[in-house]
Amino acid sequence: MIQRIISSIPRKLFLNIFVYGILILFLAGPSAALDGNEILLQVDRNLQPESYEMYRKLINIEPDGSKKEYVLYTVKKGQDKMVALFLSPASEKGRATLRLGDNMWLYIPNVGKPLRITSLQSVVGGVFNNSDILRLDYSAEYNTAILEETAEAYVLDCKAKTSSVAYDRLKMNVDKKTMTPVTIECHAASGMLIKTLYYKEIKEFSDGLSRPSVLETDSPLYKGYKSVMIYAKINKKEFADEVFTLNYLPRVDELR
Amino acid sequence: MKKGCGRIFCRLLFFAAVLFLLFSHANAAPEEDYSFDLKAFESKPFEFGGYAEIKWEHMDLNKEGAFYTLNFNDDPRSTLDRFTGTLQLGGRYKKGIWAFNGLLNAAGRHDNNGWSDSVDIFEANLSLKPTPFAIIDLGKKTFKWGKGYAWNPVGFIDRPKDPNDPEEAMEGYIVTGLDLIKSFNGSLQTVALTTVVLPVWEGVNEDFGEKDHVNFAGKLYMLYRDTDIDLVVFTGNSRSTRFGADFSTNLTTNFEIHGEFAYITDYQQNYLSEIRASTPRKGSIKKYLAGLRYLTENDITTIIELYHNGAGFSESELANFYQLVDDADTNLQNTGSDTLFHTAESISDMGYAAPQLGRNYLYLKINQKDPFDILYFTPGLIAILNLDDQSFSITPEILYTGFTNWELRMRMTFLNGGNHTEFAEKQNENKLECRIRYHF
Repeated sequence: MIQRIISSIPRKLFLNIFVYGILILFLAGPSAALDGNEILLQVDRNLQPESYEMYRKLINIEPDGSKKEYVLYTVKKGQDKMVALFLSPASEKGRATLRLGDNMWLYIPNVGKPLRITSLQSVVGGVFNNSDILRLDYSAEYNTAILEETAEAYVLDCKAKTSSVAYDRLKMNVDKKTMTPVTIECHAASGMLIKTLYYKEIKEFSDGLSRPSVLETDSPLYKGYKSVMIYAKINKKEFADEVFTLNYLPRVDELR
Repeated sequence: MKKGCGRIFCRLLFFAAVLFLLFSHANAAPEEDYSFDLKAFESKPFEFGGYAEIKWEHMDLNKEGAFYTLNFNDDPRSTLDRFTGTLQLGGRYKKGIWAFNGLLNAAGRHDNNGWSDSVDIFEANLSLKPTPFAIIDLGKKTFKWGKGYAWNPVGFIDRPKDPNDPEEAMEGYIVTGLDLIKSFNGSLQTVALTTVVLPVWEGVNEDFGEKDHVNFAGKLYMLYRDTDIDLVVFTGNSRSTRFGADFSTNLTTNFEIHGEFAYITDYQQNYLSEIRASTPRKGSIKKYLAGLRYLTENDITTIIELYHNGAGFSESELANFYQLVDDADTNLQNTGSDTLFHTAESISDMGYAAPQLGRNYLYLKINQKDPFDILYFTPGLIAILNLDDQSFSITPEILYTGFTNWELRMRMTFLNGGNHTEFAEKQNENKLECRIRYHF
């Protein structure tokens, strides 16, 4: 039957259909042609512009439901420059963290000078550590392969490019429709699960950015505890490189 | 453990019980939906904040100590209780490229000797930022140079900090400062030059040094191959010329090392000579510090610092002073003559009463965040050891920050050492401190 239909099509038309079909497969169906690293790059751009300013609220929730909240103003430039300033609560106000690649510092107004901190520490307590709060683009820190592909999602295996990255391996579920993460399992080099991140509630931000507005996390290391990040504003914005220096940390608030 | 320890233990137990009750109360908060009203956090031209604090200290006095003899000769007692209330207010007004920053600290204290109070302007400066590359400061400002946690040999224009509370705000000096910052791509990522003009005139920075001079300090900062490096210089006639350098870097994500070196020319000091007279000496000295900060997988942070203080007194010089106080006290008791006692008092005032006045020290701070699954609870321990005479202070503490904007801290300091050693001759044998601070 199929052979009869094919033979009834003129030869030139058949060749045209065949050639354009191949082209369409390569060009019109990009998801099928993307490798893991390209998918991760798309995920990064769908989560945030490369340079931006952002407001977020971070909530630590204890097993009995009691909470502690922090509000942060964050600016990022390029692949590896980021600053986060605490706006609330009053006990943390004015604290600022700077990340330049693998280097991280914490500025406490009373202390008056920036102290080096590490990615595995947490300046806020709870399940989020400093590398979660000062997260660079995933593609800047990980090499990625596609582990599994279904009609709705990719499952990516992301391996840290260097040993200084906080999590050695990520297992990331990416929604094909929005090309944003749904869940990310963060593993240590030993294979131990450190925490799971859950991206939720897609929302429209400025400049046509549509991305999850809530990020939840839990950890087998903090049984019953949960931490949540709520994104309120993400604006594409350019900053001078000098904003991302120790001398500028006491003045980050003047960028707002 | 000596006298008063039973009473202290009861107080510790009481304070721990209060903390436990507060913990239990904190757990009653109900869960709510996530909400985020951004309007409440919009930038305003004028903002202020600060903290209010009450602190109770109970000290068992060290009746064998030289400083007990000097300070309590007229009023012998075995304990001292002190209540302190502190208000610290910080504010900032910004308009365009201008910003005014102020920090005020007011404290009132009451102890068995009476009432005292103080109001200090820690900072009051005008900041001009025409571009992100250049910042000009004019007014009273605190700098806090150096990478050390407990001590900063290169803090040439800073007041000395308290190693037991190094994270507290300090009073600045009236200066004119200029910051020039430049970032690069490559191994050298940042260069920043800070220059400071610090005058000492009648009524201006008088406690800094010799009057009627204008001094200059400079710091060149570089971030080179993931290492912070500072080169520091001070020159002027209020204090002698000095040079310094410091560095800090992470060897791994959880292991940081740092160091400081200072060379001070023509350092002048009076010391107690063998003939029991205040004797001047002058020469170049060195101060240096090496330290590390290490974080374990279970969130235990350890800070260790080794400090050499070339401006300090040697073990024998300190022992001479303590012997002088002993002899002065014996003389006063036996003959009623206070001549030697007044000599000891005046020698004490010329530097022997300062904290950490020896030559070589080891500092250790260990704390663990959120142990036993208790969030915002941080138990810790601070130890300071005089490496020359082996005397030490050791301070276990607990800190709880679980209630938004509240900070509860309790610590107990024990001092110990052999006869005529630094920490064994202090005024206190031990000190219990309970502090509640509210941030607003």
